[in-house]
Amino acid sequence: MARRGSPARLIVALSVAAVLAVFLLYTSIAGGGTPSLRPSQLTGHTGRVSLMGQVVGKPTGDAHGAGLRFQLRDVKGHTTVPVIYKGSVPDLFRTGRDVVVDGHLRNGAFVAVPGTLVTKCPSKYSPKT
Amino acid sequence: MADLGRAALVTAFLLLVYALVAGSLAAWQKRRRLAESAQNALLAAFGATLIASAVLLAALARHDFSFQYVADHTSHELPLGYTLTAFWGGQEGSLLLWLLVLTGYSVAAVLTGRRAGREVLAWVVPTLGLVGTFFAMLLVFVASPFATQAAAADGAGLNPSLQNPYMAIHPPMLYLGYVGLTVPFAFAMGALLARRTDERWIVATRRWTLAAWAFLGVGQLLGAHWAYVEIGWGGFYAWDPVENAALMPWLAATAFLHSVMIQEKRGMLKVWNVLLVVLAFCLSIFGTFLTRSGIIQSIHSFTQSSIGPWFLGFICLITAASLALIFVRLPLLRSKTRLESLVSREATFLYNNLLLVALALTILWGVVYPILSQAVTGEAATVSKPYYNFFLHTFGLPLLLLMGIGPLVAWRRASLRALGRTFLWPLGAAVIAGIALLAAGAGSSRIGVVAYTFSVFVLASIALEFARGTAARKALGGVGWGGAFSSLVARNRRRYGGYVVHASVVLLAIGVTGASAYQTVHEARLKPGQSMSVAGDRLVFRGYETKTESNHRAIRALVDVYRGNDYLGRYKPGKNQYFAEDQVSNEVSIRHDWLTGGDLFLIADQVNANGSIDLKALQKPLVNLLWLAGIVFIGGSLIALWPDAREARRLAERYADGVVRI
Repeated sequence: MARRGSPARLIVALSVAAVLAVFLLYTSIAGGGTPSLRPSQLTGHTGRVSLMGQVVGKPTGDAHGAGLRFQLRDVKGHTTVPVIYKGSVPDLFRTGRDVVVDGHLRNGAFVAVPGTLVTKCPSKYSPKT
Repeated sequence: MADLGRAALVTAFLLLVYALVAGSLAAWQKRRRLAESAQNALLAAFGATLIASAVLLAALARHDFSFQYVADHTSHELPLGYTLTAFWGGQEGSLLLWLLVLTGYSVAAVLTGRRAGREVLAWVVPTLGLVGTFFAMLLVFVASPFATQAAAADGAGLNPSLQNPYMAIHPPMLYLGYVGLTVPFAFAMGALLARRTDERWIVATRRWTLAAWAFLGVGQLLGAHWAYVEIGWGGFYAWDPVENAALMPWLAATAFLHSVMIQEKRGMLKVWNVLLVVLAFCLSIFGTFLTRSGIIQSIHSFTQSSIGPWFLGFICLITAASLALIFVRLPLLRSKTRLESLVSREATFLYNNLLLVALALTILWGVVYPILSQAVTGEAATVSKPYYNFFLHTFGLPLLLLMGIGPLVAWRRASLRALGRTFLWPLGAAVIAGIALLAAGAGSSRIGVVAYTFSVFVLASIALEFARGTAARKALGGVGWGGAFSSLVARNRRRYGGYVVHASVVLLAIGVTGASAYQTVHEARLKPGQSMSVAGDRLVFRGYETKTESNHRAIRALVDVYRGNDYLGRYKPGKNQYFAEDQVSNEVSIRHDWLTGGDLFLIADQVNANGSIDLKALQKPLVNLLWLAGIVFIGGSLIALWPDAREARRLAERYADGVVRI
């Protein structure tokens, strides 16, 4: 081969560079994703976070009115945080379930972004007692 | 019975180890008899796995709760159909299905793969043996489906959301796809090990890749449809890690299907092709690992278990070994030809490959982001929908456009003037469509207009290809338009099947764009007699009706739908309350508009004690094209897959003397 650099290589190199550029641009503008936290890790975070925990106590209020109120606890721990949520409530939501919800910590309460509540499927169907 | 199952699995394990060890030795020392014996061991392993599967199936059918697996995943009330499909409802059974499909594929691949050459086949057997050994080892030592216990009076039952006809077909389809990618991987490794780096391994595995890829695609669409009609949040794809797990290998396999054509036709991209096949295979194992390890937060959390580290180790081993092998064989993988022009069929294939791989890798980055951020900052962070949507637009839209350009560009070198002539019609159609869309008010979503304009361009260029081909064939004389058309497709199945698949991807893009960019959502709290409107339809809430069934209470909201003065019918979204499981499930009501392809999607979001309802209504234009795309996709794949006697003869002549001419 007389010429060493083939256009195919050039294209590959340029495309990889272009992809990297787009990627860096995106991650620098959009920030590096939403922190995913447990209730015990919440203190100090004021930005939007994704909170994962277990529902404890009886949920009260109206998700389509003033807001549904419930407590979330670390799945393996004792720290709890009160949550206020508006929007669709998944079928599987209830006391004892693990849920994930996005929102901000405001004055010790977690104000959820409407419509972000998701329940995790129970990993296995527990036998009837 | 359980003993028989265990014995069958141990036998399968030993046979696969033999296929691996003896097969490697035979291929290394070129001992033909030993190679045949290793091959027979692989065939026998399929038989042993079949016996193990039959034992599990029989135990399920007899409700034999002394099998832990049966007790954990079924119950007496569960209908027989779902009892049998519980075979893949849990982890151990899924692994057994993996092994069954893998050994089954191995048998078929070894028996039909002689075209790859004896030396290659001799190395394919131990490669398949290695993958099989891994899964058999898990089944024998780590997660046995045949663990026994004191027989329980009743089993734990199956999660209600899995009691669904899709459960019978969606997981096996995905498995047929995932596992199917092992075959091209094994042949690629076989070719490298045997130093046979011509394109024969590609020809031998072409249909395998195509079939695995088609199964994976259909499996994902079935999953999307399941989510749409059953889970009831109004969407069909949520960028969940488990969904991405199936999408990534599909994208890599799509890239591979395209780039192998360049190697066949032009002898280029050899290194790239083996890298792609390794990527596709590793992503399919990674997908199995994701769904089985619970390492990443997902709304689908399957049984979390101890098999995660095993999978991780296996993925590392496979990746390191295959990359090392590729590196050692690099001198043999030199291309004989070079890319001649940046405007040529080869070049468009190359662009398409880079985009597909970039898309697959950015999705992979998003999936592993929580793990990486945890490792770097000590705090897990997740990326969500906007991240994925951004990259879907950035890489997906150019891909869509390329689908229209690629088929019209000549091989090797295309002149710009010829290109202008070729693109006149599709380009004209796209411009007219774009203007019409803007006039019709589709400008509310810029990405939507771009996607639709590109779609029209691709459909026009596909139609043009069919028209030109048919006209050329008719010009040969002797046939009418119909005859010319069918003989055109029959003589170039892969090409025209490919175009049909392209058309299905366009339909998919149109459906997805309609359902996301042009969706209208409206929510309201209604008392009986009150109404709300969504995108021109008026919905009147008339009250509830309640029915008590054997295992649940069904509450249905009665919603009358009007368009102008026309009454379109009564729809009944609601909720089911299951007594035994103490669980509520949303039952959505969907009004399909067959004329426009749109859906009115009704969700009874909250049933209030005072008799009112929080009703959510989604107007999703063109969403049904998504499901139509599935049917067209199957059709196109079948056309491309259909055995072609003429092609088989041509290949037999080409490789008869064992010398490859490029």
